[in-house]
Amino acid sequence: MDIPGGGLITFEAVTKRYPDGTVAVDGLDLEVPAGKTMVLVGPSGCGKTTTLRMINRLVEPTQGTILLDGTDIKERNPAHLRRGIGYVIQQTGLFPHRTVEDNIATVPVLNGWPRKKARGRADELLTLVGLDPALAKRYPHQLSGGQQQRVGVARALAADPPVLLMDEPFSAVDPVVRASLQEQLLSLQAELRKTIVLVTHDIEEAIKVGDLVALFRPHGKIAQLAPPEELLAAPVDDYVADFVGFDRGIRRLSFVSTTGLNLDTSPLLPAESTVADALANGRPWICVTDAKRPVGWVDTATLGALPGDTPLRQVRAEPIGHSFTAGTDSLRAALDAAVLSPAGLAVAVDGDGSMLGVATFEQLRAAIQRGAAQAADNGHGKQARQVQHAQEDPLP
Amino acid sequence: MTWSWISTNGSLIWQLTWENIKLGVLPALYGLVISLPLGVIASRWRWFYPPVLTVINVLYAVPSLALFIALIPAFGLTDTTVIIALTVFSLCVILPNVVAGLRGVPAAVTQAATAMGYGPLRRLVTVELPLAVPVILAGLRVGVVASISLASVGQLIGVSSLGYLFIDGLQRSFPTEIYVGLVLVIALALVCDLILVAVKRALTPWAARPERQRQRRLRQLTEVAP
Repeated sequence: MDIPGGGLITFEAVTKRYPDGTVAVDGLDLEVPAGKTMVLVGPSGCGKTTTLRMINRLVEPTQGTILLDGTDIKERNPAHLRRGIGYVIQQTGLFPHRTVEDNIATVPVLNGWPRKKARGRADELLTLVGLDPALAKRYPHQLSGGQQQRVGVARALAADPPVLLMDEPFSAVDPVVRASLQEQLLSLQAELRKTIVLVTHDIEEAIKVGDLVALFRPHGKIAQLAPPEELLAAPVDDYVADFVGFDRGIRRLSFVSTTGLNLDTSPLLPAESTVADALANGRPWICVTDAKRPVGWVDTATLGALPGDTPLRQVRAEPIGHSFTAGTDSLRAALDAAVLSPAGLAVAVDGDGSMLGVATFEQLRAAIQRGAAQAADNGHGKQARQVQHAQEDPLP
Repeated sequence: MTWSWISTNGSLIWQLTWENIKLGVLPALYGLVISLPLGVIASRWRWFYPPVLTVINVLYAVPSLALFIALIPAFGLTDTTVIIALTVFSLCVILPNVVAGLRGVPAAVTQAATAMGYGPLRRLVTVELPLAVPVILAGLRVGVVASISLASVGQLIGVSSLGYLFIDGLQRSFPTEIYVGLVLVIALALVCDLILVAVKRALTPWAARPERQRQRRLRQLTEVAP
């Protein structure tokens, strides 16, 4: 799918000062590239929601200009501007008195579509967000929280706006539902290429769904604006490092590929092999495979008492736990697989689940170092700009 | 009880019942029509409501007979006098419900409506008022029942209603007439109330059971006893 009409959002020296003197946003310069997901993240009161609401003029800036595709949004009729900007909020804001399909059809109907056509569009969107079109005639209170949130997303997308604003969209649902909604957003975005501005206080969510993450300091200044992997790899100061969290090193591995990882095939033996074969292999742990699938780990230290001709199939094996798909899964998954494996070795499979080999901690460590070097190369230009920005802005 | 009195006076009873319906229902409807714009203003501009509420409470404290008498110089001994007075009383019970109903619309819903591109008027008519219907109708029910029962008092200034049966029965020491009047007033109130319950069900197919309970609680908080 090609990139639909624009959606470039530009903040130029935007300040929002409330009548009580609180400065919510302070001289913000920010560019949200068309077709990208920009996550605004930060503690409560950092101005991220105010920033979001200025885009659809729910909040008017005190100073500065906001441009949408180069046009000052102040020159647009607010109602018309908003019909071109999808809006999703934590409490869903669904209309309790309208059915699911009429909720979704809201903006098309406002735009003058006949109701029947708008309802047809609503059915398409239900499918798009992963809901059963049979839910169309229900009222919002008859849906679960996760389903309501999906309807909220469908409603925001109904008129196919180039821009989507999401204010803590997944904060009110349980972690399992949240993860599935995040996955859904990523796959939707891969297809639709909207300009998404998403506000969250959850750095994990920011890192998972953002193409770019703007981490705010209190009182509306950006501490660092960077792609997620760069935020984890090179926080510009202690504030960012603290916010990102103590295990950022591990989480960063989510962005490092397992392609090119050296795999060891020597501790693999088919289930038809015998105890004698296993002892002859010389490895402390043997990974038993059956029809190329990993079956389990056998500790050779326990094999001494067994007759040498016992097939490995009959030996009690420790479960594999979980394996990783080489090339598709990240190094974080590979490292996790190694940590959880009784042998300390990560089992690598291909896309079909066939055994490829195992990775040792040393091999993983080498891959991590290669990955870190690459990330530093990729991110250096953007990072330099942010460092400069942060220096103007000492820690509070 | 003299049952034969009922059959011989059927047309009188029917006529008085009809008058009573008119004197009960019209003021409640007028009260609703006046309450809607006032309630909209009061829920938009919060400073507007406290003084209005004070005036309403003072008016509500005025005995109905006194209000009838106060209106006689302008409107005479007519239906109009009774209808105006009862409209004032209905207004007193309906307006707080209109305000509570509109204020009870969740902020997230009005914000979402604005963010989707509703203008203020369209948002009011298609989102806020429909959502306030259960609470507004709860007020209307109280208004109708109160007007139907207060309409009898109008008989004291000669405006006919089922109140005629009370006064006539008392003067002639004829309890049958009083009983008939009483039963009819209560029955009228019940029927009107049931009709409004049905109207509410029809207008709010979306109201969930928990929502209904919430509104019942809200109604208890905002209702003024007649």
